[in-house]
Amino acid sequence: MRRTRTRASFGAHLVAVVLILGTVLPFLWMLVSSFKTPSELNGVDKRLLPSGLFLGNYTKLLDTNFLTYFGNSVIVAAATTIVALLLAILAGYGFARFTFIGNRGMLLVVVAAQMFPAVMLAIPLFITVKNLGLLDSLVGLVVVYVSFALPFCIWLMRNYFLAVPVETEEAALIDGCTRFRALWRVVLPPALPGVMAAAVFTIIQVWEEFLYANTFIDTDSKRTLSVGLNSLIGEFTTDWGRLLAAGVLVMIPVLLIFGYLQRYVTQIAGGGVKG
Amino acid sequence: MSTITSARPETATPGATAARRRRLRARRLEPFAYIAPAFVALAVIIGYPVFNAIGTSFLNASLLRPGQDTFAGLANYSNLFASPTFWTVTARTLVWAGAALVVQVGLGLLIATTLNKRLLARGAIRTTLIVPWVVPTVLVALIWRFLLDPVSGPINSVLRSSGLLDDPPVWLADPTWALPVLVLISAWKWTPFTAVILLAGMQQIPPEQYEAAMVDGASPWQRFFHVTIPSIRTSLALVTLTTISGAINNFNGIWMFTRGGPVGATEILTTYAYRTAFMEFDFGKASAISVVIFVLMMVLAVTYFYVVEGRKGEKR
Repeated sequence: MRRTRTRASFGAHLVAVVLILGTVLPFLWMLVSSFKTPSELNGVDKRLLPSGLFLGNYTKLLDTNFLTYFGNSVIVAAATTIVALLLAILAGYGFARFTFIGNRGMLLVVVAAQMFPAVMLAIPLFITVKNLGLLDSLVGLVVVYVSFALPFCIWLMRNYFLAVPVETEEAALIDGCTRFRALWRVVLPPALPGVMAAAVFTIIQVWEEFLYANTFIDTDSKRTLSVGLNSLIGEFTTDWGRLLAAGVLVMIPVLLIFGYLQRYVTQIAGGGVKG
Repeated sequence: MSTITSARPETATPGATAARRRRLRARRLEPFAYIAPAFVALAVIIGYPVFNAIGTSFLNASLLRPGQDTFAGLANYSNLFASPTFWTVTARTLVWAGAALVVQVGLGLLIATTLNKRLLARGAIRTTLIVPWVVPTVLVALIWRFLLDPVSGPINSVLRSSGLLDDPPVWLADPTWALPVLVLISAWKWTPFTAVILLAGMQQIPPEQYEAAMVDGASPWQRFFHVTIPSIRTSLALVTLTTISGAINNFNGIWMFTRGGPVGATEILTTYAYRTAFMEFDFGKASAISVVIFVLMMVLAVTYFYVVEGRKGEKR
């Protein structure tokens, strides 16, 4: 039995190496190529690695609105995450601790809301956001993004709260704490991994979102990263150098956030699966 | 987690009855105080637009004639169902979702099974594998459009210089290749995550079950089908449904790569609806298309709820 395990683990390591290469190589190629000179990129000057650290692609990038797109995405992601988490903690707690009329039905709504086709909502949302006077503003995007992040965050928080023993908050209630205070002081700390997972999920969603940001924002200086970068791809299809430099810069915060929060990422999956 | 249900504090706290009764009365309204803020947001931003879209699908509505919508009855639907384009696009959407399912879940299972073995640095491997999932689609589009660039892209230059293909296709601009290439790129982004979810499920399986199966003389295949698969049923149901719904709902990826082209070769229902709304300005027809997507998604949502949550409810 031991022998089969050793053999299996060699094959497994081989598969793992192939998978890692398949995952990492495209990113690595982008990084390396972003330091290539135009003639190296065009294939006029054939070489695998750049001849030196050519920074021209990065300096050229600064002529565009790229840093503004970047800042806009950071602002929208931060605001969305904070608001969505506050609402989701309350609602998740409500679902986890109370049995009430329509409990199951509302939970079904929460699950279903995650699956509404984004394109379907684009037309009426465009009109709603316009009526609220929030067209072409980052606030409008935050309002929409909060609602889109909510269902899954509620679901996740509910599952985490279910795992917190009721006894802890009973003790706090007996000590004269209100239920609301007990939630923040006693119930939330053990469920903090859930909060982090919900935050990761929300940030990833905002960083990713394209359809609404593309439809609701007109002004170039208010574009978010997805839309901004996509417009650059459209504009400069042949200027790969500048685009790859942008790609590297987009990658950096993703890796930083991800490196810090990666252990919560698997819990996002767990939040849906557990039970 | 499964064993913990939403226990009710009163049943566990034998306290002063008056206080308890007072708390019970407050309790009827109390849950709504917690849930209301989130549900108001959901109602305004998701609920209302859904009904609005369904309503618009029965109107002659155009962005070009604001405020002049007229009732159209079922005309949008009958026109849609009579149009061959609609059926081609619907069929392509189902093919696209089916391909995503086969590639992402099939490959995901294979990867998860492999990684479930004893492995050096398993945590690091798992972490690296989910990177494509956290990377925004626009970056995936940037990287792969560069790699597949017909002139300066490394993939075609490798194909050419290695002599494998003298005249490699222009992948994303080639009607035959665009859809399969998009399936593969989308699998590149999503499969690792599928694998990680399935792997998490597999790691919950007690080793004794495998040992018992081995004592009974079960082959690796038998162990896979009789121990692994039944044990990860919930994770499997989840990834199946999220993969299908993600594929049907996909817009960003396709729009950033091909905008549904070349010559409609990658057009699925979402891009079709978007094009109809924001390029042909026919909101009524676009809403009818989105209602079709909506119906497909709701079938999936209800299935998910009863498969995953329904089973939990029975235990309660």
